[in-house]
Amino acid sequence: MLALQLLCNGIVTGCALGVVAVSFSFVYATTKIFHVAHAGVYTLGGYVAWSMLGHGFPTAVAVLTAIAAATALGALIQGLLYARLERRKATHLVVLIASLGTLAVIQNILAAVYTADILRFNLPWGAEVFRVAGNVRLTMTQLLTVVVSLVAYGGVMWFSNGTILGKQIRAVASNPFLAEITRLQPRRVHIYVMAIASALVCLPGILVPMDFGLQPYNGITPLLTATIAMIAGGVGSITGAFVLAIVITELQNMSLLFIPGEWSIGVTFFIFVIFMLFRPTGLFAAAR
Amino acid sequence: MRHLLRPAIGLLAIMLTVTTARAETIRFGAILPLTGPGAMIGTQQMRGIQFAVEKINAAGGVRGNKIEIVFEDNQAKPDQSILSFNKLADLQHLPMIFTAYSGPSLAMAPLATRKKVLLINAGAQADKLATASPYLVNTLPTIGDEIKILSKYLISEGKKQGTILFENDAAGIAGRDDFVKLFPAAGGTILSQEPAQFGQTDYRPALLKLADAKPDVMLVSITAGLLQLAQQYKQLGMTYTVAGTTFFAEPATIADPSSEGFIHTQVRIDAPPELAAEFKAKYGVEMEFFTRQYYNAMQIVVAVTDRLLAEGKPLTGETMHDMLFTIGKFQGLIPLEFKSNTASVPLDINVMKGGKDVTIKQMSSD
Amino acid sequence: MDFWFSYIALASIYVLLGLSTNLLVGIAGIFSVSQAAVFGVGAYIVAFFLMNDITSFLPAMAIAAVCCIALNILVTLPALRVSGDYFVVTSFGIQLLATAVFTNWTDGTGGANGLPGIPPPDLAGKALEESWQVVLLCLGGMALGCLIFWLVMRAPFGRLLRAIREDELAVAATGKSVLRAKVSAAALAGAFAGTAGGLYATFLSFIDPSSFDLDASILLLTMVVVGGARTLAGSIIGPFLLLALPQILTLVDIPTTIAAAARQLIYGVLLIAFMLFRPQGLAGEKL
Repeated sequence: MLALQLLCNGIVTGCALGVVAVSFSFVYATTKIFHVAHAGVYTLGGYVAWSMLGHGFPTAVAVLTAIAAATALGALIQGLLYARLERRKATHLVVLIASLGTLAVIQNILAAVYTADILRFNLPWGAEVFRVAGNVRLTMTQLLTVVVSLVAYGGVMWFSNGTILGKQIRAVASNPFLAEITRLQPRRVHIYVMAIASALVCLPGILVPMDFGLQPYNGITPLLTATIAMIAGGVGSITGAFVLAIVITELQNMSLLFIPGEWSIGVTFFIFVIFMLFRPTGLFAAAR
Repeated sequence: MRHLLRPAIGLLAIMLTVTTARAETIRFGAILPLTGPGAMIGTQQMRGIQFAVEKINAAGGVRGNKIEIVFEDNQAKPDQSILSFNKLADLQHLPMIFTAYSGPSLAMAPLATRKKVLLINAGAQADKLATASPYLVNTLPTIGDEIKILSKYLISEGKKQGTILFENDAAGIAGRDDFVKLFPAAGGTILSQEPAQFGQTDYRPALLKLADAKPDVMLVSITAGLLQLAQQYKQLGMTYTVAGTTFFAEPATIADPSSEGFIHTQVRIDAPPELAAEFKAKYGVEMEFFTRQYYNAMQIVVAVTDRLLAEGKPLTGETMHDMLFTIGKFQGLIPLEFKSNTASVPLDINVMKGGKDVTIKQMSSD
Repeated sequence: MDFWFSYIALASIYVLLGLSTNLLVGIAGIFSVSQAAVFGVGAYIVAFFLMNDITSFLPAMAIAAVCCIALNILVTLPALRVSGDYFVVTSFGIQLLATAVFTNWTDGTGGANGLPGIPPPDLAGKALEESWQVVLLCLGGMALGCLIFWLVMRAPFGRLLRAIREDELAVAATGKSVLRAKVSAAALAGAFAGTAGGLYATFLSFIDPSSFDLDASILLLTMVVVGGARTLAGSIIGPFLLLALPQILTLVDIPTTIAAAARQLIYGVLLIAFMLFRPQGLAGEKL
């Protein structure tokens, strides 16, 4: 019973993390930027939605505004910062530090405006409890998280394989040089990629805080775990990132059955480090 | 390389010319985590001090002298705390500094002893703080005092099978360790314990695992995220009793229906309704537990300062320290007494009922 | 005076760490984000030996340095197998693993409570209790570290390392052992980090896991990049500047309620501006 509940709980958390991983992977595979500021975009979405709801707007409007804000922020970061750094041929390390700086700016603007208190979404329907598969109790928010995440994952798969822009993005990702001379305009494509990834990360950015509350400095942990999922899944593989995010959260959840919780994070990362030594290109790399 | 020297020297010069104290203002310091994950609590503490200072200054200050607090952000890190402490004590000659969090407080304690600067802690409850330095004064009891009373009460209510959910940091661990020691001593059994990370508000895995041990009662030793915990506890349909300490005194949690039946010990530190309302009007948030604690601590500082000025004594760390123990008894938001470095305060056992915190037993921390 | 002493002592310790990070990331091209973990191990080892009165300060430092050399070789070994960004993330994993151990291995590290009351350093049987003595010790440690770094960079070994970073294949083709060079660089970086850890523990007299977490590792990288990668001057300027920056920013007058967040915001803006307009750092080579 406990195992089943932990399993279901892990799937919910894992799905949300999966979308973060997919969106990060989307950016990383195309631009090769270690976009840490993505954690800031993730956090911003939640705060915008919270603000709009607080001002009495309907849920749909709040969510759309949040997505719009996140998309704009993502595109801005690419257009104003990363593109310039790229023109100046900045190294990975320099871009990473600039991205860290951007994250600090976003987080601290949020902290200055909304304070560092844990803010709570006041949506009574979200807390409604359903019984699934026997006696597993899940809230509306949790069920919604799973559904939205799966739809988002499906959407990205379709977009990436079934649309022209998606194919262009994959072309730029696999060979930016060739893309340049075939007039695919990698720079413009990069902005699209950042915008799409930012819109995408906004979904878990709203759904997760609906369940757990909003905090300005809380985006970095999910982002790091998502990064690890992306690498372990194999860079460029959308399915790999999504599945591994679920696997990692399940590892953390299910390990509770056997070991004290203090060590669940330690054990997860120990397994990850060992895994990287034996399969350094990731689990789904062959699928590229 | 050389063209870099000039700006570097300029920066150093700026650092040197840190403002010196103005005559008519009395200045104290506060080193709190104001950014980073700990900011959630640090900000509450800052508001408490600020609110008290604003009220005192609006009423004309202490014997005509305005009070000013120099806030420093340590991000809850010990090395930043040392730098900030030395800056306030050494460059600005502040006689008294507020501190929070056990790690930073323990790091600053030896310096406080050496430099004779009074450190007042109104937030951290680790047992080691009681003896860290003669100059470190705690205005709330160590967690052990509370756990002792709570354990006895729980046993007397027939709740003998216990589990623990603790925050994996100094504050949370202190509560866990005391419960592991004191609950069995009172006649109970600890079935299992699970950690939560500070600021991570997903408690479901831990709650599920603890419920599996089929306890009568779960001790919760966390400093943030109690409301989220209460809601998840309710959503998962848990039925065992939830017990905790002073940290449970969060207005939002008490008002939420999910916390029905939570039992906790509490330093009797309720803000009078009009004060709480004034605070809420000013800051737009509830006057939380840590806010009340630091408001209260500031009142103690004011009382000490007032008496020193009245007696025409200089305001130094040493005189403030001595005067604090000479006065001994204070009446801020709560009556408290310093028999040692850690205040003895009245403690209540409360239960959350119908959105209100109801006192069912009154005691003292001795 | 004590403020300046504590600033100089901490900055000197961070210079040692900066050298360590610079050696790995800047010179050997091993992008490690787990240097704070090695730093922490050094600190905990020295604290353990001094608190239990097993050895005096210098032998404890030597033991810490040796352990950290071994550890640093161990944690950078994956770099030989896993390349580029894959190593960065593996290194993330190592750092998070180390933080979990520091926080939860209560018997060895004091856990999240930390270890208070670490005795001051001692030399020739005399405890250095005055703050100026400790500052001199830290400065001495820093000077020694800088000297070693300078000598190594001038030696053929330093040129070999640079060559590897430029073109690993070409170096391998000339018959030089890339593996041995990288392992030696990792060993030296480990010794720097371990020494810094020991100085940090005895200077602060209190350590807890918050000083050795991912934030600390990232701060080290930032120090190296802002100071200037691959140069001695950069490893010195970076720590001194970045430690001073938060202190300087407290002079900016901002309403109290948002002051701390606003200062961190300015810090972020400065970092971005820096990366845009001086990506090679204050005293670095062109990247």
